[in-house]
Amino acid sequence: MTAEVLPRLAVGERVAGLEISGAWLVDPTSGREGPADIVVSDGAVEAVAWLDGADADGIGPDGIVVAPGLTDLHAHFREPGNEDAETVASGCAAAAHGGFTTVCLMPNTDPPLDEPGVLGRVLAAASASGSPVRVLAYGCVSARRAGEQLAALGELADAGVAGFSDDGSPTRSAAVFRSALAYAASLGLPIVEHAEDLPMTEGAEASDGLVATILGLRGSPASAEAVAVARALAILAEVAVDEPAARLHLTHLSTRAALDLVRRARAAGLPVTCDVTPHHLALTDEWIAGSRRWAWDGAEDRSAAPYDPSLRVNPPLRSRDDAAACLEALLDGTVDAIATDHAPHTAVDKHVEFGLAANGISGIETTLGLVLAAVDAGRLPLLRAIKALTVGPAGVLGAHAGRRPGLVVGEPADLVVFDRSDRWTVTPATLLSRGKNSPLLGLEVPGRVLLTVVGGRLAYVAE
Amino acid sequence: MSERLEAPSDPEHSPEGEPSPEPVAWRHRHLLDVDALSKDELELVMRTADEMRDVLRRPIPRVPALRGRSMTILFYEASTRTRVSFEVAAKNLSADVVNISAATSSITKGESLVDTVRTVEALGADLLVLRHPVAGAPYLAANLFGGSVLNAGDGWHAHPTQALLDLYTMRSRLPGGTVADRKVVILGDVLHSRVARSNIWSLTAAGADLWLCGPPPLLRGFDAWARRGAAAGRRFTVTSSVTEALRDADVVMALRIQRERMTGGLLPSLREYAARYGLTSERLALARPGALVMHPGPMNEGVEIAPDVAAGAQSAITDQVTNGVAIRMAVLHLLAGSGA
Amino acid sequence: MIGRQIMTADEIRRATIRISHEIVEKHAGTEGLALVGIQRRGVPLAHRLAAAIREHEAVELPVGALDITFYRDDLSTVAQQPLVKGTDLPFDLNGRTIVLVDDVLYTGRTIRAAMDALVDFGRPQAIRLAVLVDRGHRELPIRADHVGKNVPTSREEVVRVHLAEVDDVDGVDIERAVPEPALAGRE
Repeated sequence: MTAEVLPRLAVGERVAGLEISGAWLVDPTSGREGPADIVVSDGAVEAVAWLDGADADGIGPDGIVVAPGLTDLHAHFREPGNEDAETVASGCAAAAHGGFTTVCLMPNTDPPLDEPGVLGRVLAAASASGSPVRVLAYGCVSARRAGEQLAALGELADAGVAGFSDDGSPTRSAAVFRSALAYAASLGLPIVEHAEDLPMTEGAEASDGLVATILGLRGSPASAEAVAVARALAILAEVAVDEPAARLHLTHLSTRAALDLVRRARAAGLPVTCDVTPHHLALTDEWIAGSRRWAWDGAEDRSAAPYDPSLRVNPPLRSRDDAAACLEALLDGTVDAIATDHAPHTAVDKHVEFGLAANGISGIETTLGLVLAAVDAGRLPLLRAIKALTVGPAGVLGAHAGRRPGLVVGEPADLVVFDRSDRWTVTPATLLSRGKNSPLLGLEVPGRVLLTVVGGRLAYVAE
Repeated sequence: MSERLEAPSDPEHSPEGEPSPEPVAWRHRHLLDVDALSKDELELVMRTADEMRDVLRRPIPRVPALRGRSMTILFYEASTRTRVSFEVAAKNLSADVVNISAATSSITKGESLVDTVRTVEALGADLLVLRHPVAGAPYLAANLFGGSVLNAGDGWHAHPTQALLDLYTMRSRLPGGTVADRKVVILGDVLHSRVARSNIWSLTAAGADLWLCGPPPLLRGFDAWARRGAAAGRRFTVTSSVTEALRDADVVMALRIQRERMTGGLLPSLREYAARYGLTSERLALARPGALVMHPGPMNEGVEIAPDVAAGAQSAITDQVTNGVAIRMAVLHLLAGSGA
Repeated sequence: MIGRQIMTADEIRRATIRISHEIVEKHAGTEGLALVGIQRRGVPLAHRLAAAIREHEAVELPVGALDITFYRDDLSTVAQQPLVKGTDLPFDLNGRTIVLVDDVLYTGRTIRAAMDALVDFGRPQAIRLAVLVDRGHRELPIRADHVGKNVPTSREEVVRVHLAEVDDVDGVDIERAVPEPALAGRE
């Protein structure tokens, strides 16, 4: 197997010529994967040749892999308002390092993205960054994310938001949520809901469970997520009767109970989709107690010191069973997408006592690695993984996704090339995000992104 | 006889071909919780505390073991008795002591724990004794601090020296000098208690028949721990029945119940708690005759413990205080010798 | 391990008897004398000396035991030592002549620590020192009043005293230390 990649381009430059011979190509749209040669010329895909017979010999999915560029449905770039933690520019660099070519940003900036002017600032920052990564954004559901009144949904839609969310928080008022769902339906956009019952989780530091009990941490019960999901689904069921175009997307689900509710709702035909984060697939609350084993690896481990504040996240890391439920739901199609919930923070906000640390994991660069760990362990087929990172998110974004994910001859190249036989160590230096709050610091993750191309232009190339 | 020669630690008392058992070495640079202590290490602490009790009985209860060492006491929660206990322990070992309490320092101006620990280290402290309201804070300090960190209580999580002095007290008062197979009951607000959590580790390691008892909202999550513990050989029983728990008990440890629990919606009232779970002499009579009564302090007399029980003949509460100094002297001595 | 015996059981016995006579001779009697053995092997030696003195003087001298763990000037070694059963001084030190008893005298630091410990218990009139083996290499200005055997050694060598009360046999060996492999479990 040989793969030749041409570096020496600057980020943002059109890829004049690129030849990849004998890599493993994954096409999630058609469901086909196998050895292939790919040629890119003047930014566009010139040829895709599937190999067979002797040419295909020795080329497996465990070496160089080519896939459509990944799409992230849920990331936080902290501009405007908290640029020390991340800017649109640094976020795009991080995204490209992670293999992502499209990112959809959450509106909990400061000021929040509740009117078109703020969207304008974000998009201007994106084009000023020089990165070709496609930046989309959600608008707030409620004005100032306060949950009392609707934000300027129509204006935001006209300005080009990809949907609406009050993420960081649930939509506080059920009545507002109901109105937003109906209104957004008329705009052809989804509501992306962070499902959490706030009174139940007040002061919570970790998931309710054995680890929280032993470590003396205030617990956040699984039912707090299930209760909020049930509320959202009940309201969706009613709204969808009058507004068939209504769409609900539940983001970062983390519990078996909530996923079971979604499974039943989908079976009943409700227009609901959902995503899970890579950390809810691969990590558990045991990590807070010092384990460094993947969720599917049953061994007891206390190799790290407990209370690492980089593990404080909302929804919190859950039990092994909940992580398994996320994986099962991904495999049976209940979950459409893996979304990163990339949440960078400064050291001032994170390098403090666990119970005082801000919630969030800087994860866009390690997402592929965690997903590949599951693939390596035989828990997740490679094709399903790539689908969840490309076709799945594109389906949720609908028209905003742009073209269908895939390497289509004649279209601008939108792809990621990564080497499954390689690994990299996560350190503050190797992370391009300003947010170094990753629980994987000092650990090796499998797979290494070699090249990310967005719309025919270079977004990232490995040294 | 081992081929290996230990480094001539004390040249005059060089390796003597040890027919006696392998000495237990204290390997811990910090004491953040009791979880990590093996049975042998618990024994080592107990025996060292015996020595320290002997020192405390001298006319001048002082030894120069920690002379030249500097200990900083950093308390983010008010506590007179524990702080003084540590201070006395350190001074009895001839260490220099610096006291920082949250109200009086730059901590109230918003200086972070990280910065405070760095400052303390820069000022030359070898030992840091930390009490903090947030679980896990001592681990953060231990990552930063070059010397030894001793956890004097972190949120609901752990209070290792309390568990050690509780174990020491029980052994010193129980017939046979052991807690193995003795029924020890921890009664009260287990959920919010770092004393309970640490005692679970030490008492199960020492082989006690441990029972946790309280109203159900204050036992939340401990059933699951008990089930998991049984699998790991650390057995204990959880019940909300006071009569079940106290019957034939050898030791009853009452925990403080705080008013704040009412506002959290966890309990109807302190009066109801006292009526149903307070350790009165009637309830104590369910236990074995001569059963020990213990309390980590400070006490709400009339709520979790009746005044006559607290002051009665079976009460070992003042022993706990005295033993606390001996245990802290023992722990400081072992920590100071661990990483030099 | 290359070792050789430098004192037999008989030699230990004779040295002990000789020292017991010397102690009484130096003190010109037994009035006010007390023996304090330094843990660990100084203690049985002190008892043997007291037994010998009882034999030839028909006097029962008080014997105490001293644990110097808390008086060391080198804390890093604490972690490796078993905590021997402590200090027992069942008599008043004030005004007495204390003879400290130890098995091996080397740098002198143990004796310094022992003297510090003793004065915390009272004010002896005088402190003397009796050792079974003096191996040289003093780091402090300390000398023994009574010595069983002077043994010149090099720093790489280790002197091992065996006493029946602790080790089932009597004897003194000298060994050349071999480089030690990393101790398991030590940080």
